Amino acid sequence: MLWVALLLDSPCRDASLRIEAASGLAAWALQFSPRVAITEPLSATPAVVMEVAASVRLFGGKRKLAERVRQESGDLGITQLAWSPTSLASVALARGGVSNGLAEPLEQLLDRLPIQTVSAVAAHQQTLARLGCQTLGQVRALPRGGLSRRFDAQLLAALDQAYGLRPEVHEWVTLPDTFCGRLELMNRVDLAPALLFAARRLLVQMSGWLAARQCGVSAFTLRWRHDSLWARAPGDGGELTIRTAQPTRDIEHLTRLLAEHLAKVNLGAPVGDIALEAVEVHHFEDQNLSLLPDANQTGESLALVLERIAARLGPERVLRPRVVEDHRGEWMCQWQTCEQALPGAQRRTLGRLVDIPQPTFMLPEPLRLATRGHRPLYQGELQLLAGPHRVEGGWWDRMEEEGQASTRNVMRDYWVALNEHSGLMWIFQTRLADDETAWFLHGHFA
Amino acid sequence: MFADVDWQDLAPSQTPSTAKATLPPGELPPEVAAALWRGNELGSSVTQVVSTGWVELDKELPGGGWPCHAITEVLQPQPSIAEWRLLMPALKAIVAANKMVVIVGPAKHPHLPGLRRMGLDERHLVWIQADTPAQRLWVTEQLVKSNACGALIAWLPQARQEQIRRLQICSQICDGPVFLCRPAAAQHEASAAPLRVELRLDLDWALRLHVLKRRGPVHEGALRLPSIPGGLESIITPRLAQPSVLISSRQERQAIPDVVGGTASRQPLPRRIAAH
Repeated sequence: MLWVALLLDSPCRDASLRIEAASGLAAWALQFSPRVAITEPLSATPAVVMEVAASVRLFGGKRKLAERVRQESGDLGITQLAWSPTSLASVALARGGVSNGLAEPLEQLLDRLPIQTVSAVAAHQQTLARLGCQTLGQVRALPRGGLSRRFDAQLLAALDQAYGLRPEVHEWVTLPDTFCGRLELMNRVDLAPALLFAARRLLVQMSGWLAARQCGVSAFTLRWRHDSLWARAPGDGGELTIRTAQPTRDIEHLTRLLAEHLAKVNLGAPVGDIALEAVEVHHFEDQNLSLLPDANQTGESLALVLERIAARLGPERVLRPRVVEDHRGEWMCQWQTCEQALPGAQRRTLGRLVDIPQPTFMLPEPLRLATRGHRPLYQGELQLLAGPHRVEGGWWDRMEEEGQASTRNVMRDYWVALNEHSGLMWIFQTRLADDETAWFLHGHFA
Repeated sequence: MFADVDWQDLAPSQTPSTAKATLPPGELPPEVAAALWRGNELGSSVTQVVSTGWVELDKELPGGGWPCHAITEVLQPQPSIAEWRLLMPALKAIVAANKMVVIVGPAKHPHLPGLRRMGLDERHLVWIQADTPAQRLWVTEQLVKSNACGALIAWLPQARQEQIRRLQICSQICDGPVFLCRPAAAQHEASAAPLRVELRLDLDWALRLHVLKRRGPVHEGALRLPSIPGGLESIITPRLAQPSVLISSRQERQAIPDVVGGTASRQPLPRRIAAH
């Protein structure tokens, strides 16, 4: 048996908040072991205990497991945790400020602790103090028969359970079906990016909940409530929903994504507390760990990076192409955001191409060229190499612009032109409204 | 004289094998020669490369291609004139390995029908429209650090030396080649990129490339790399095989009125040419 006790830091005065905090912590702890319990949930100092003896090998040994528990619980705000062979002893050690209960024999460690560390003993603190008992060892040294007659049965039972002489009974925590974590901030937060520190705590909890359920999240919502004392608050609060392309439970990725989104949020008033809810949860299998180092695992996947870039620049700036069967240059290639393009892109067959030379760079708008003696000029006189290629039509492509319906009808003669400064270009000649022709630069064969 | 006598006395006793003794004085035994690096050879510290597609260019680059795990600067007098023509043979191999090509902030809009003809299809291209220099740098750094794309081409006209150095350090974990397209004026400032090439156009369906910086000796002269943009092979007639001849002949014809100097003959002549 290997028990870990996690003491909640700075317990709140409100009992319901205390229980909520303890169950949030228990949900996180369930990723390590199914045997998680909350001891004394109604008392002023609840603790979460878990039994991890069976999980040691899965997490790579005692040392690695202890390291991970310490690191992640630090993110959750746990400052005191203790390891020992029984749950009651681990809680007592944690309260007494000892973290390693395996370094010495359990009796020696427990005997030194003050009597306040075990609640059942602490209830008789005054009587015991008058008897001259300060530590658990002194209580245990009293005659057993006298103890059971003078005090209630719970004291002796608790002592026996703590020393491992009597079996313990626990009510195991079961995992909630949905995740909704709340957190009251220690001080009021004015700036949205500063919410990230507190939100990360909830993200760690959510990640633990997801790991225990073998799931990943593809959308989660962060809600914040404004401080109730703030009279000029514009509303009750706000919320932010973040979606990911693939289900994930990677804390780092979720934190960075949240940071990018929070950077754009303007808080109307100081925020008092925040809540995090997992909206869309999907089944998700983590990667198998391999004995051999895998060459492909050095970086993150492109989808994750593009998602982060889209979160900062805006989704309309990360584009993937789609070829449309059109003969006019401008509408031949459409660009769409990653979310639109990714799902179907792998299955769709490639669009057919028109069989004429196409440039590799296009100008967003055709650029009208100056002419000298009917010859187009662009950084010098252009030498026409091949053409004309007539592109005509498009009356069926209607569009609305400033209330006026018009069509994208074009009538152009395309030429391939060359110049020593600007290389190979795609230019066209078209007729303007007043029976005049003009040359336009449209693309580069770069 | 004294030294000569001394050597001849010692030679038979110290090196009994006759094969070594017969080597001419300037040459080294093969095993020594293999382990020796000479100053006029190209450096071989580049571990992984992507072939450029031109044999003559591969010969000039250390390792024999565009380096991975490092930055390559492509300097041009004008942006978006010939980048794809230079890089596409290498990108083709990357696309064939089913890796993504990401382009950051090109000066003009990429046009996929033309790119597809050169070998880059729609499933392997991502275009990130980053406008400000800070955004371009941030996006480039994120992509380089993530090591997620097969090749990265970024247009960074205003990047400073220290920013390039930062990217170069980040790119050491990136498995694909990273190309930075920059203006030719940047060749006068120092850069941390281990490979810098200057790209110019040749009118006769070719590119002129000068290696400004590489690991190894200085590159002199310019390489002429034949290159025809995708789809144009079919329209090149024998007359178009050398466009420079067409241009020079046109310029000569235009120069005639100036040489003759007659105001009367100047008017009708350009009109006749324009009718062609």
